[in-house]
Amino acid sequence: MKKSNNTKNSTDIRLLVQKFSVPLMFIIICAICIPLSGLSANMLINEIVTRIGRNAFLILSLLIPIMAGMGLNFGMTLGAMAAEIALIFVSDWQIVGIPGMVLAAIVSVPISVLLGIFCGKILNEAKGREMITSYIMSFFVNGIYQLVVLYLMGSIIPIKHGAIKLPRGYGIRNTVSLLSMRQKLDNLLAINVAGVKIPVLTFIIIALLCLFIVWFSRTKLGQDMRAVGQDMGVARDAGINVERTRIISIVMSTVLAGFGMIIYLQNMGNIATYSAHSQIGMFCIAALLVGGASVDRASIGNVFLGVILFHTMFIVAPKAGAAITGDSMIGEYFRVFVSYAVITIALVMYETNKRRAKSAAGQQLQAAQDAEEAAGKEKA
Amino acid sequence: MKNKRQLLFRIAAIVIILAVAAVMFVIGRGHTIYFDNKETSYNGQTVEAFYKVTVTTGEEKPSKLSKGDRGMTSIMGQTLSMTLEITDAEGEQPHAHKVSMKVPYGMDGITINIPALMAGLPQDAYLSEFVIEVPDTGATDEEIVTDEFDMGADM
Amino acid sequence: MTTQKVKAALKNFGLPRLIIAGFLLLLLIMAPFVGADLPTQISNIINRFSWNGILVLAMVPMVHSGCGLNFGLPLGIISGLLGATLSIEFGFTGPLSFLAAILIATPFALILGTLYGWLLNKIKGGEMMIATYVGFSSVSFMCMMWLILPYHSPNMVWGLSGKGLRTTISLEGYYIGALANFLQINIGSISIPTGTLLFFALLAFCIWAFLHTKTGTAMTAVGSNPAFAKAAGINVDKIRMLSVIMSTWLAAIGILVYEQGFGFIQLYMAPFYMALPAVSAILIGGASVNKATIMNVIVGTILFQGIVTMTPTVMNNMIHMDMSEVIRIIASMGMILFALTRKTEGSK
Repeated sequence: MKKSNNTKNSTDIRLLVQKFSVPLMFIIICAICIPLSGLSANMLINEIVTRIGRNAFLILSLLIPIMAGMGLNFGMTLGAMAAEIALIFVSDWQIVGIPGMVLAAIVSVPISVLLGIFCGKILNEAKGREMITSYIMSFFVNGIYQLVVLYLMGSIIPIKHGAIKLPRGYGIRNTVSLLSMRQKLDNLLAINVAGVKIPVLTFIIIALLCLFIVWFSRTKLGQDMRAVGQDMGVARDAGINVERTRIISIVMSTVLAGFGMIIYLQNMGNIATYSAHSQIGMFCIAALLVGGASVDRASIGNVFLGVILFHTMFIVAPKAGAAITGDSMIGEYFRVFVSYAVITIALVMYETNKRRAKSAAGQQLQAAQDAEEAAGKEKA
Repeated sequence: MKNKRQLLFRIAAIVIILAVAAVMFVIGRGHTIYFDNKETSYNGQTVEAFYKVTVTTGEEKPSKLSKGDRGMTSIMGQTLSMTLEITDAEGEQPHAHKVSMKVPYGMDGITINIPALMAGLPQDAYLSEFVIEVPDTGATDEEIVTDEFDMGADM
Repeated sequence: MTTQKVKAALKNFGLPRLIIAGFLLLLLIMAPFVGADLPTQISNIINRFSWNGILVLAMVPMVHSGCGLNFGLPLGIISGLLGATLSIEFGFTGPLSFLAAILIATPFALILGTLYGWLLNKIKGGEMMIATYVGFSSVSFMCMMWLILPYHSPNMVWGLSGKGLRTTISLEGYYIGALANFLQINIGSISIPTGTLLFFALLAFCIWAFLHTKTGTAMTAVGSNPAFAKAAGINVDKIRMLSVIMSTWLAAIGILVYEQGFGFIQLYMAPFYMALPAVSAILIGGASVNKATIMNVIVGTILFQGIVTMTPTVMNNMIHMDMSEVIRIIASMGMILFALTRKTEGSK
């Protein structure tokens, strides 16, 4: 009895280490790189606080599809594209400041909802490989986005201002300035603590989203999503409309990603029209995984731990790389490599765990059957 | 019964959101205002420029305009409120005026001639639209970089 | 009855594929009217087919063994790039450097392929997503390596610092046209790279022949019904591993053939998205996630390259808007999406 307890403890520790292996690895990377980078504590903290405000909302949008068992939603890019289209319109209408952001959020919702429903329907056709499908989906919709922004805007969709339109008369320029709403949200109610600017309002909005997610997971719909995420068959037997629930989770994620992108872009101060969204999904997913989340389980805590660790690495890696090798490009490539490697490791861990669980369940079933058989024999 | 109520709620929610959007259109409309301290003539009446005008709008840094100068600010919404500190001639004490006026919705850039405004001339004398010419950066089109890795240009 | 049959056939063929084939047909019909030079176009398609055919062929073994579409193609491409750069570094020149590149790339492809196959055997069911990210990780890892590895050949490193490989390296004096110039046929404006086509035919034939050997049929069995294959005494993991190694090696050879036609080695982020056009090409050719033939490769590459070469010219002449890139993205991604949403038996 005692012995089994012991082994249980040791496996617990092993599981714990395994569970937090990615964050641990990142803490070590950061611990090595921070002194090498030569950045002052003040600068580093300032940067990290800025990046939490900029990215946390976007990353939080990934939580709901994970709850519904649909894995990492690479399709969050769809919401980002919806937000960019909305912001292009709003800057053409010359609506500025926070009202401009609110209007962009409102305009982005119908676009996000449509794209989300489309994405959700496709993902329902590709059960079991949602992630690769949502990943290809982001490329497909990027094609449509380019069609709209590069050819239809200005020719069919009215765009008035020459500052955002290409000189040829249609299509949007490579960058659209958001100077009129740059950091308007961050600076309203901002406070300065020991030289660190804290964008209080942005943090309040992020906190509200966290509260919303906690509340939502306790509603009937949230519980349904969990049930669907655990086992679609069982959920269906319990009378849950599985397909609809899955579509709703993707739609919510897309809409939230759109809002997140507006917050992200107001902080940046301009839109890189054709590339701002292309890497956003990858970086958000990497950050979430760095925080210790896995493909089927992620919490709000993972989001914040992840955003801090991932972005610390992101800030210090190029500087540290330059300090070690004398070439800043190495650090740049290093951080890209680490982002991809983290996602790869997380995916591999998820799949191996899934297989292990499956085979364990199979063994249990086998044992139960054997026992039954033995019992049957005894009776005979 | 329940469905009807749900529908009603949804319609109400959409109406509210649309109303918010409409409000945003009004209060969020940005304008760029250019202040001129220049001599102007209207219907044969000539108004002299002031020696010096200090224009303060909102929290922005005040712009000090000597004779013939032009200042600039951006505002949000349809109301322009500003404080003018006018010095008529060198050495005189400046006198302050608070001015508040509606600006036309459709204009992005608006020029306001301060001497004409202070002389109490009608609106079309002191207010005119300023159209920003987008500098033509050359005959060729801007190169569009649609994706960093040049995917699919070739296999 | 017949309408039902037609409907079933249409469903089987797939709407996206129909649209793409129809679109290409339309392009071909339109071409003479808008003043595009048809012989040049056809010559372009043949040339591009010869460059890209083997990269598409690299999909076949993994699809057969049920590992799904090989989104990890960049891993094989990396092996090819290592072979190419090392061949130049070791001082091989002319067509001989092509042979040397193949020989040097092979062990890399075998080692990386084995590791990759081992990994994919651990995560059955999630191959495609992980393959994608294995590809991305390896490309970004090599980005660092291209800078760090001690290459010295002045034709490859940055002139100023004398270290770190350039992003594009000209193959002039090395294996440019090593295959294409062999038995090249020139008729008017059409030039046919006979050597490259023969090389492709040779490899395609080898794969075809392999799939008809005992091991080859075992591979197909593993792909179509792993449980049955296991029951029949086939070592599923070993067969899958073999298919992954073959795919990786073909990708390595494929990029070398591509380079000898294109004339440049492209390093750093260039291999990043190379899997996607190859994947969509084989799907356009009629393959599915777990079924692919040599015919699919040939038809698919011709159709895909047809669209790639024809759209810019025809579109530009017709409406003076170069929408070719957008069309290419929508068509190829739409095709992959379609294939992913088909129900398949056996592997996911």
